[in-house]
Amino acid sequence: MRTIPRAMARVLAALAACTSSVAAVRGAAPAGGRAILVERSLAGAEAAAARAAAAAAGSIRGRVEVRRTIVLSERRPNPADLGGGRRLEAPDHGRSVVYLESGPRPAFDQREPARAVMDQRNETFVPHVLAIMAGTTVDFPNSDRIYHNVFSLSKPGPFDLGRYAAGRSKSVRFDRPGIIRVFCDIHSHMSAFILVFGHPYFTMTDGDGRYRLDNVPSGAYTIVAWNEGTTSEPAPVTVASGGTTEMDLLIR
Amino acid sequence: MVADWLGPHGGPIMLAGGRVTLGGDISSSVAPEDTGFFNYTDYDHSTLRTLRLALSASVKAGAHLALLTEIRSENGDPPEPYALYLRFRPWVDRRIDIQAGRVPPTFGAFARRTYPSENPLIGYPLAYQYLTSLRPDALPASVDELLAMRGRGWLSSFSLGNLAPEHGVPVANVFRWDTGVQVHAENDRVAATVSATTGTLSDPGGLAPRGAPQLAGRAAFHPLPGLVLGASASRGSFVSTSALAAVPGGRPAGDFAQTAWGGDVEYSAGYYLVRAETVISRWRLPIAQPSPASLPLAAAAAAVEGRYRLRPGLYAAGRIDRLAFSEVNGSALRESWDAPVTRWEAGVGYSIDRNLLVKVEYQHNVRDGGRVRRLSLTAAQLVFWF
Repeated sequence: MRTIPRAMARVLAALAACTSSVAAVRGAAPAGGRAILVERSLAGAEAAAARAAAAAAGSIRGRVEVRRTIVLSERRPNPADLGGGRRLEAPDHGRSVVYLESGPRPAFDQREPARAVMDQRNETFVPHVLAIMAGTTVDFPNSDRIYHNVFSLSKPGPFDLGRYAAGRSKSVRFDRPGIIRVFCDIHSHMSAFILVFGHPYFTMTDGDGRYRLDNVPSGAYTIVAWNEGTTSEPAPVTVASGGTTEMDLLIR
Repeated sequence: MVADWLGPHGGPIMLAGGRVTLGGDISSSVAPEDTGFFNYTDYDHSTLRTLRLALSASVKAGAHLALLTEIRSENGDPPEPYALYLRFRPWVDRRIDIQAGRVPPTFGAFARRTYPSENPLIGYPLAYQYLTSLRPDALPASVDELLAMRGRGWLSSFSLGNLAPEHGVPVANVFRWDTGVQVHAENDRVAATVSATTGTLSDPGGLAPRGAPQLAGRAAFHPLPGLVLGASASRGSFVSTSALAAVPGGRPAGDFAQTAWGGDVEYSAGYYLVRAETVISRWRLPIAQPSPASLPLAAAAAAVEGRYRLRPGLYAAGRIDRLAFSEVNGSALRESWDAPVTRWEAGVGYSIDRNLLVKVEYQHNVRDGGRVRRLSLTAAQLVFWF
């Protein structure tokens, strides 16, 4: 009996799984026709290519150390206030975004619509930093009992959602990569960042600054960490197929 | 971008581990000469032709105590402490504050949003800026003398008290804050403030000794998100003891008080914001001739303003404003004791950056008296804040 190579077996298995799932999704279409077979074949080929790419991918992990003083957000000292202000919840300024400065070419074509949420709670944007891929729609629900007015004047995606009350939400789709600085027109101490990437090779650090970037196609890249508007020195990194590369980054 | 200079959040500047917070407002307004003195706040300063530098600071000393101050300079004048007070919060978890020193105005709504970054237009509402002919340190000997100063609040003079020509007072003066004690409490629906200060609404923080302190109060209700209903009242001795000393048959300063009532409403939703505010004030003055029955003098002001956001960073705004005065009996005729004024303003504002705003407006003034009775002005203002 001829032995099928293990990688090929995985691709075939993936293909089978993919075609059956495609068939399930498209079950409403007339079955048995030639068009369906072609569709199945194409979908299977795409999936196979993706699986093959994944098989040739590796990971990058490490820790981001932020040495500079993190600037806290605080109310403007407004002596005209009569007082009575609420205590503010401190946003999480410690988390950083780690990303590849450039990604493999096909990655830029993957623009599947996605959704993300940036909440407004206790006069704070939660999360304080959101990293998304271009084409993502971000919902901005108002979970406070007061009005908010989310806006941005950032060039990649200026918007103004107007004032809206608790329980309501408005959305913005971000199609252009860049850094979006988000503010509230009513509460000047409210601010947040949305980092929009043209490829999917980015991640957020955890509370200890640790990160892990998976499914990076093997190759040589430049990796960068970002925190509150400051970036690390770009670092060259090589990802080997199936391997994990260690890379610590420093933000001064 | 300007905001980059201020760090990722566009200000304020924080020092000493967050215990000291610094903010600032720098604004420059340009306009043609206001020959009718419609926008003047004293003989030298016009709201449409001002370079203002303001630095505000909050210094926290624990969870209960903070010092707040604002140092301000206008048109190159030496910096002065516009605000300087201690804020004490007895219970950290309750929104109750006690403030002492040169405290923010209790009365009204506009009084606490005079910063150029918060005023959608360049001009101020008439109630808070327009100079009437009344002065706390000088008194007219007769109603005729008072009527002679109609429309001349920018430089009025009377025959009793301080004889030097000086500017009069607005209905409510927001260019100087008062000194005293203030208590403020609020929850999500109601906010209440009471204060006892040395000056009056028209003449806060005045150095001239006078009678009883001013008592003021304000209550604001938030029945719905975006809706604020406010009511204010104040009463305090207006006439200085030195001016009263010049009046025959002297009476105590406490008899000659300014009493004011105010109402305000604000509603906002989506891209628009509408505000309306009215102030009614009465001054009792020791004017004997010819008819004390025409006293006290009264003034009523009403303003309606709106703002609409056209697109990110760009808005259009407008305000209609009227200030009227009660009538008194002169020896020859009966007319209002000062010249009524109507003003309308319309303008646009554009945020070049979050902290950098440019405004342009057109303003038209009509006055029923004075040397200049109609005046249109175009003004521009650049505002930088952090």
